[in-house]
Amino acid sequence: MKNIFSYLREIFSNTPEPAPDPEELKASFKKRYGLFRGLLTANNNALQAMAELEKIYYSGESYRMAAVRSKVTAILVNVFKMIKNLREMSGGRYEELETIFENIGRELDAIFERRPQRSEGPPILPLKEITLKQWDQVGEKMANLGEVTVRTDLKVPPAFVITASATRRFLSAKVLAEINRRLQILDPDDFDSLFKTCEELRRIVRQTPLPADLEELIHLHYSRLEKETHRGVKVAMRSSALGEDSAGVSFAGLYNSILGVDKENLISAYKEVIAGKYGSKAIAYRRKRGYRHEDIEMCVGCMVMIDALQSGVTYSIDPSGEERDTIRINAVAGMARGVVDGTKATDLYLVSREKPHALVYSQLSRRRDGEASPATAASLTYGQIKRLAEAAMTLEEHFGAPQDIEWSFDAQGRLYILQSRAIPASFHQPETVSAEGGPAGEAPILFGGICASRGVACGKVRKIESTEQMQSFPQGAVLLVEHPLPEWAPLLGRASALIAAHGSEAGHLATVAREFAIPALVNLPEALTLLENGRTITVNAAARAIYEGCRDDLLRDDTVKRDVMAGSPVQRIVTEALQHITPLNLNDPASLQFKAKWCETLHDITRFCHEKSVSEMFNFGKEFNFHEGAAKRLVGKVPLEWWVIDLSDGFREGVDSSLPTVRVEDVVSLPMMAIWEGISAYPWEGPPRVSMRGFGSIIFQSTMRPDLDPAVPSNLTSRNYFLISRNFCNLSVRLGYHYAMIESYLSELLTENYVTFRFKGGAADLRRKAVRAKLLAEILQAWDFRIELRSDALLARVKKRPREYLEDRLRILGYLTLHARQLDMVMDDAHMVEHYKNKFMADIAAMLAGGDRRSTGEADNGHDQDTAGR
Amino acid sequence: MDTIKILLVDDEADFRDIMAAFFTRRKMACHTASCCLEALDLLGREQFDAVVMDVVMPGMDGLACMKEMHGVIPELPVIILTGNASLNTGIMSMKQGAFDFCLKPVDMQELFEKVLLAGEKRRAA
Repeated sequence: MKNIFSYLREIFSNTPEPAPDPEELKASFKKRYGLFRGLLTANNNALQAMAELEKIYYSGESYRMAAVRSKVTAILVNVFKMIKNLREMSGGRYEELETIFENIGRELDAIFERRPQRSEGPPILPLKEITLKQWDQVGEKMANLGEVTVRTDLKVPPAFVITASATRRFLSAKVLAEINRRLQILDPDDFDSLFKTCEELRRIVRQTPLPADLEELIHLHYSRLEKETHRGVKVAMRSSALGEDSAGVSFAGLYNSILGVDKENLISAYKEVIAGKYGSKAIAYRRKRGYRHEDIEMCVGCMVMIDALQSGVTYSIDPSGEERDTIRINAVAGMARGVVDGTKATDLYLVSREKPHALVYSQLSRRRDGEASPATAASLTYGQIKRLAEAAMTLEEHFGAPQDIEWSFDAQGRLYILQSRAIPASFHQPETVSAEGGPAGEAPILFGGICASRGVACGKVRKIESTEQMQSFPQGAVLLVEHPLPEWAPLLGRASALIAAHGSEAGHLATVAREFAIPALVNLPEALTLLENGRTITVNAAARAIYEGCRDDLLRDDTVKRDVMAGSPVQRIVTEALQHITPLNLNDPASLQFKAKWCETLHDITRFCHEKSVSEMFNFGKEFNFHEGAAKRLVGKVPLEWWVIDLSDGFREGVDSSLPTVRVEDVVSLPMMAIWEGISAYPWEGPPRVSMRGFGSIIFQSTMRPDLDPAVPSNLTSRNYFLISRNFCNLSVRLGYHYAMIESYLSELLTENYVTFRFKGGAADLRRKAVRAKLLAEILQAWDFRIELRSDALLARVKKRPREYLEDRLRILGYLTLHARQLDMVMDDAHMVEHYKNKFMADIAAMLAGGDRRSTGEADNGHDQDTAGR
Repeated sequence: MDTIKILLVDDEADFRDIMAAFFTRRKMACHTASCCLEALDLLGREQFDAVVMDVVMPGMDGLACMKEMHGVIPELPVIILTGNASLNTGIMSMKQGAFDFCLKPVDMQELFEKVLLAGEKRRAA
């Protein structure tokens, strides 16, 4: 604000030049005032978008790239407007702001558009030429299988991989741009539009023609598979995604595998698997975990189908075992899909990890259902179990981490490995929550099932039976399903817990539940009959127990960590981007560093533009000769000394502009009137009077605090100034050594409305300043201000609220501006500080409740939209 | 204030319908066009207070179209509305004279107020 005052000083000291034509002046002012208004609105929008960006970043919850992009774009667009308006107001000054802005924009663009660097290679690789080294060509899944083929004596069905390089040729930049455009538009919480968009995207992929040479190559490699096996051999087209390289992120079951593909369908099946990248569950999952769509690339494994007699899933360390000394095998007759889909009841075997791999436990599926189901029983022989155990240990040893393995036995009894990947770390760590000796309180209403993901959560039960019902699934409800199908995965982002009547912890949905860190209990058939929609329950998955109502005691003890975005590409992007956006280096307008060239971030630019735009409004007066009477002293029943400068229409019509004073009754500025009501609501009580000449001299002179040297000695700089128009008010107050500013715009458009309060301590010792700023922050927070407090610098804001609501906020600020100075005397006395805080709160409540114009002082009153248009 | 009259240019019919219903409900006169040429045609025949326009459209894109519009009516406020995710599109739009810029999915209330401001500016001009 120093600049404002120096301008004022010039106004008062310079010899007036001849005034231009009043009409011209009026038009010119109107234009400038319009730019000023636009700048203020842009300032608020930019600051709001920054606050929202920080909020989603620090919330610990998941956010998606499209939301981040929207916020950053909003910030850029508004900062651009501010610079443009300021330059127009100032006759083209501050050109360096444009350069700085351009540079920041370029940096942000580079951060946002950065693509993972991946090497190009052949479009097709046979599995037997693949090892882990080729992971960035073939995806993790197929790289692992290649490694098994080449480096171990375990058997993998013959296969080749259509690589990421091939995918890039298939889906050109143009096709991807169209796909990304549709994804940006999409609101992923709206399931109807999610499904619709997914269907469109898959259609785009299906209809995109495959380059002819690529199509020929696929047929060529297929015919080689035929030679290795037999003519017309059927293949499985399996997704193998690239970019899912974050620890603990498995992307299990999100993509399509197409089984039983024959020669005629090779190409359409290939496209279908590629299209699987845009399945609803995959999109929802990436969003939740912080992956951009371009972070993931699809590769496709084309693998000979095994005529499976038995299939299943092996964990080289049983994830639910407490001793960590057993291998877990889930098996079914036929193909493995039933295990991972959660649709088939499975046989369970627990085997010792130590040779000779003794069988320590077995449970056949028919016993679980209570009735025989011979069709699904795998009935592995001990010899088979032993071979599976040996294979599991071989793979664990080879890859150096516990493995999750899909396998099949064919009719000849040969064991084939279909997939092997690391079990997410969070899953095989030792149990920390004890299931023993349940907590005090009421007994569970339901007990049993399999814990598929640990944790405690509370919510209302919502049973989902069809995709149509997904749309209505409420945030925070407990998801109850019959089968844990992968199709329900998009709901896990909203659910507080999962309960399934069937399935095992090996299913995809269970895996996704673990990654989202929501508790999951599966294989609990009683849940379907016992739990009705809308009933509030608490699920303690580790204890395999469901309790009535919301059990805070259990929720408190929940130790499962939730940081679903940690380490993800989107989080990295936002972390980097924020460095160019939110840090504020330009804090003090009086500082020598408060210059355009010192702006480093978008926040700096907004601060700078705002400050200078206020100065420019004064400049106007300087250019066009506000005569000395421009700043008028406020007279009437007025405590202290206040000066008012009318920027436009802030005084009642017909007020004599030649007078050096103005009466309070002649002010028609809406925000100033509200502030004034706050200032005059209670008589001023302190500080002790040292002079009878006027209150003004007291507070501004150093007599109050003789230990400090006043930084701003002149009378002019220490005045309290209102800058007003009918809708606008900027009040700057020097409270001895500190500086406060209230600014507000009140109109009928919510988007323009705001109240801002800045407070900064002066030369006092930091602790005392901080105490005062903190006390003000606490009071304002109680009245719904958004607070930013850094040491002794306080920024409090409310915006986009109806006029009446904001007028109350201005009354509060007016009150505090006057009365908070009493605090200077007592800042060292904690008891007195508390006393004043209580007194202030009580005064404010009474002031807001007592107003004639207001029906009520309730903080929420202003939410009523109808009051905005009065 | 008289009824604000806006022109909505977007190639997606569903989106046009939703937006038109929204603005009509809020007592604005809303005309629609599915491409730039249609929009220019309408502008030649009738007066509008503001234009809300998509960027990616078949034929002339939104930014080129805005240039054409400003060639005829320099002070016409154009609000660019797009799903194009590049940050640059926003800045480009503003540089080329857009009144404001919104990314889809758009907050309807926010867009509504932008249109009000645009209308106000147009009438003040």
